[in-house]
Amino acid sequence: MGVPERLRTTPSGLVLPFYAYAAASFLASALLAFFSLDAFGEHHHHPHLLAVTHSMALGWATMIIFGASYQLVPVLIERELYSVRMGYVSFAFLATGIPLLVGAFYAFDMGPLAKWGGRLVLLGFALYLINLSKSIALSGIRNIHVRFVHTAAIWLFVVGAFGLVLVYNFTFRMLPGDPWKYLPLHAHAGVLGWFLMLILGIASRLIPMFLVSKYTNERLLVWIYYLVNSALAIYIVAFYVPALRLIAPLPWVLLLAAVILFGAYCRGAFLMRLRKSVDAPMKMSLLSVLMILLPLVAMLAYLVAYAGRGGEGGQLLTTYGYLIFFGWITAIILGMTFKTLPFIVWNREYRPGSFTGKPPNPKDLYSDGLFKAGALAYLAGFAAFASGIAIEHPWTMRVGAGLVVVAAVAYNANAWKVLLHRKRAPK
Amino acid sequence: MNEMNAIDRHGLRAAEALQEVLDPEIGLNIVDLGLVYGIEVFPEEQKLRCLLTLTTQFCPMGESIVDGARVALERAFEGYAVDVDLKFDPPWAYGMISDAGRQFLNA
Repeated sequence: MGVPERLRTTPSGLVLPFYAYAAASFLASALLAFFSLDAFGEHHHHPHLLAVTHSMALGWATMIIFGASYQLVPVLIERELYSVRMGYVSFAFLATGIPLLVGAFYAFDMGPLAKWGGRLVLLGFALYLINLSKSIALSGIRNIHVRFVHTAAIWLFVVGAFGLVLVYNFTFRMLPGDPWKYLPLHAHAGVLGWFLMLILGIASRLIPMFLVSKYTNERLLVWIYYLVNSALAIYIVAFYVPALRLIAPLPWVLLLAAVILFGAYCRGAFLMRLRKSVDAPMKMSLLSVLMILLPLVAMLAYLVAYAGRGGEGGQLLTTYGYLIFFGWITAIILGMTFKTLPFIVWNREYRPGSFTGKPPNPKDLYSDGLFKAGALAYLAGFAAFASGIAIEHPWTMRVGAGLVVVAAVAYNANAWKVLLHRKRAPK
Repeated sequence: MNEMNAIDRHGLRAAEALQEVLDPEIGLNIVDLGLVYGIEVFPEEQKLRCLLTLTTQFCPMGESIVDGARVALERAFEGYAVDVDLKFDPPWAYGMISDAGRQFLNA
């Protein structure tokens, strides 16, 4: 009997390689940060910091978000993906392009390595955007979650294209002025337009779902959507119109409002949950929402204390970047991995009729103890590393970086335990 | 009257069989979760029809739940042709969770 159309979800063969790649990238990034500690005391344009940032942003966060969204977008749009094959090709482009780009940044060689890396990554983004746009167009569903995800994919493509222009700009001047001055534009469009939009769009659906909460508030989500997009639009306009630099804090105030509203949304979902017990991965995911406030506070502190005093407050900016990539983005991925990955693998291994006996619970596919140990190492390491950067204390940074490596090892051990799980009693 | 009792008995047996099928994420059986919209048993024709819903269309666990229901019913009604269909109107809502299901989630 064929699978009914409404049950045809994305094959695990497409989703799981993204999770595997992301896990390996998290460990590689944590090690790269550990062995590049000196760079955290330098200017945030330091090549090693660019390498760590792109390894975290692309190899870790973007790869796992691609995998998870190929699985979850069909739930949001209530139809299968437009093209699974396009998903596989996007993986191939990104998996090849990311190490080229990260390697090029590390050596600061903006030649063919960086250009090919950037081209391949951009092709991966383009395929993702086309696949998503076609899937959404065919479904006809335009709820707020879909709008978040689609807008995020558009921003991602724009950010990727602009990033490639910046790579070219180091060898063929295409943009006026200092090539480095455009970096904040690229970085903020990526963090706010891609990561924040995408994570808010998907988390606003998943958090109530995993809490078994009947709470919904589409109007609140619409406000959040416009606050984040307005903040980014104002940031871009203020970047190009010097007279508007006075309103520099406005985007961050709007973002603060968006995050507070999203916190209220999560609180509503939490209070109206039917499932009283909240597991450790879910607690980590909820904590990550609070952690979004940290970089916002750091940026507002920077604007109040240092804006306009050229070159001052550099450590606060490096801390700000760290709080984003090793902070809330990593925290929500650590939590959500174990709310999704075990179910994808369980679904593949223990489909009824293909297995005799009582199947294990999907939650038993990973070690809860190892998750908690890794989460503690991560939170302690994150706090120490971020404080170490802010106060320029090498040993605090070293301890923090070491603990983050421990957390990445624990995460990999648990993720690979699930990825390599095979049923023990086949028919 | 006897015929009516036989139908009730078959329906009960089917419901008991479906209580063995769990939503893997929540850990609650699909009957108390409110996913079972109807069961029709036709003893003379050795046929059984089950109407299920899912908490959301394209639920990643959907295929597993539908297969689980079919296997459970085939075991309980040996020799019967079991047909499991999906229905999304009305869509599933939290109010469909039974009191026993709520107690389970509250524990």
